[in-house]
Amino acid sequence: MRRAPSWPRHAIMVVVSCLMLVPFYWVLKTSLTGENIYAYPPHIVPVDPHLFHYVDVWYLIPFPRYLLNSVIVTTMAICGNLLFNTVAGYALTKQFPGRRWVVLLFLSCMLIPFQATIIPAYLITSWLGVLNTYLGVALPLLSTIICIFIFKASFEAVPKSLIDAARVDGLSEWRIVVRIMLPLSKAAIATNVVLTFIWSWNAFLWPLIVIRTSEMQTLPLGLARFLSVMEDTTGALFAFVVMVLVPGLTIFLMAQKEFIRGLTSGATKG
Amino acid sequence: MSWRRILTHRFVVVPLAVALLAAGWNIYIRFNDDGLIEGEVRDRTGAPVSGATVVFFERNFVYYQEKQRTMTDAHGTYRFDGMQVHVGQLEARTEDGRHSERRQLRLWFRAQNAEVAPLIVDAPRG
Amino acid sequence: MTSWYQRKRTRELALVACFLAPALSIFFLYRLLPLGWNVLLSFQSWSPLKAATWIGVDHYEEMLLDDDVFWDALTNTLIFIGCSPIAIALALAIALLVNSDLRGAAIYRTIVFLSYPLMTVAVGIIWRWLYDERGGFFNYVMRSSGVIDQPVKFLQSFDWALPCVIAADFWQVLGFYMIILLTGLQSIPQHLYEAARVDGVPAGARFWRITLPLLRPSIFLCIVVGILNSFTSFDLVYVMTNGGPGHATELLITYIYKAGFGQSRFDYAAALTVVQFLLLVVLTMLANKLSGGNAGSLER
Repeated sequence: MRRAPSWPRHAIMVVVSCLMLVPFYWVLKTSLTGENIYAYPPHIVPVDPHLFHYVDVWYLIPFPRYLLNSVIVTTMAICGNLLFNTVAGYALTKQFPGRRWVVLLFLSCMLIPFQATIIPAYLITSWLGVLNTYLGVALPLLSTIICIFIFKASFEAVPKSLIDAARVDGLSEWRIVVRIMLPLSKAAIATNVVLTFIWSWNAFLWPLIVIRTSEMQTLPLGLARFLSVMEDTTGALFAFVVMVLVPGLTIFLMAQKEFIRGLTSGATKG
Repeated sequence: MSWRRILTHRFVVVPLAVALLAAGWNIYIRFNDDGLIEGEVRDRTGAPVSGATVVFFERNFVYYQEKQRTMTDAHGTYRFDGMQVHVGQLEARTEDGRHSERRQLRLWFRAQNAEVAPLIVDAPRG
Repeated sequence: MTSWYQRKRTRELALVACFLAPALSIFFLYRLLPLGWNVLLSFQSWSPLKAATWIGVDHYEEMLLDDDVFWDALTNTLIFIGCSPIAIALALAIALLVNSDLRGAAIYRTIVFLSYPLMTVAVGIIWRWLYDERGGFFNYVMRSSGVIDQPVKFLQSFDWALPCVIAADFWQVLGFYMIILLTGLQSIPQHLYEAARVDGVPAGARFWRITLPLLRPSIFLCIVVGILNSFTSFDLVYVMTNGGPGHATELLITYIYKAGFGQSRFDYAAALTVVQFLLLVVLTMLANKLSGGNAGSLER
């Protein structure tokens, strides 16, 4: 059987990869260049490159503050997800009356995109009195249906004999989850953490609605605010963009496999 | 999972490396953030100029304003202390109306100690 | 014995209830309740300082008959969704290229997917800059290759703004489509291809007769993602054009935001949301029908 040579496919993929990487390069170049960013024609390679735009971002905009807010919200979301999704996933592995309805409820909730709920969600949050707080931002992100099902599938794969043995040894349900189920579900945990991180780190619309004051703003809000104040007149904006993207990209590159598995098992965001 | 494997896992190594770098950088900053900005003022022949006024402008995309001024001593040197800035411009002026260029000063962190290359007073103000 | 068993059973049920309670209450508060409240609110006249009064379908009447912006936003949203098959086709081509035993396929896959997990706000700023008429990449390339003489203000142009936003969205979501399609491709049993090859079926026919029909569930999933994408693209539009120029890039979701939080017309925004949600449901059902039904079932 004669096989087609592989170099045309490589050629196409190299071109596609370059096209996909152009925006990354262009913004990185602009953040480093020492020349006026409006000079025409722009140079492909940065002229007198320096890192001082990054220093400017750190001191002139409250970048550390935005970073802190983002980290707090993301940490809350990750902790909430790990706790609530684990226990909910474990509960779903049990038989109880109304189980079908609960599953159906979760599945139908999954079809409601969060963006379609913003008006009442805002009113509910203000009724709960947590507008403009970390909790208010994190609350809708505290549990993810996809991850509940990922945990459920992972728990169901744990051998029944192991659980029975633990029960004979007199371990409580809670202990069984922590001591036996979770150590055997590392992949599910990693998927959950990575998905939650990426989603809460990037969340924009909801914080935009809930956050009122500038010292509570998270990174995406800070970025949008900086853009609205300065327009794109300074290389510092692009340094800001790079600084915001680096943590997300790092986590993604470290946990690519888990992230992709999470997305393909749930497939829809929201 | 043994401790060795946990410690060499990428989820542990990468955050640890980042934390170490950040800690090291902060220690370095702690020892170099007195905000000392020092330099010399000379004329065109290279002789030190005493009694010249050196003005520090805070210039970035938020402000452009004079922040502080000082005088050169008998050896033509000047010194700013406790400057809580990371970017700015320096200009030297003499009594008789000569002045230097506005020298751009960029620092790596706020209040970094810096040694500025000599400012040359030259053309009369105009 | 029975009572012991019953007690144990009751305790177990209580435990299940406790375990489910947090997740259920979050989804009740932030998914189900808002959905119902939206419908209710859309038939009322209400503002934060005013008691609600029942006004029937007035909001819908205003929207459909008097509101040009609504029609602009609806058209743009439909164009936005309608363009997603182009991205899906591109992603399918890429997926077919990297699926085969190409060396370094994992690297290409990572590069194509790299833009998906990025913060959409940052993506918007990056693309805004690429479209800039002075420092932007596109104007630079087009001017230096002689396609245009004068710089084009892409995002300020009524003709170009929407395609430009859609292109930026393609860039971000292409990798996701590719991953979904790759998963689908990998689940197609190889022996089908072997058999077809033995029977002398040409490559083109193999694609149309085996690959495409078996990929239908994945393609359906891509279409659903494309539909949902018109909601999640709020961030992109907000940063790149904020709906402008005029309302040339206004999507339903940006219009809902503006009506609700810009003009404090929560009731009207709720009516818009209901329409948007119905659109989502109808389009998803349509896509499900076209892809042969039952494709989106998630309980496997």
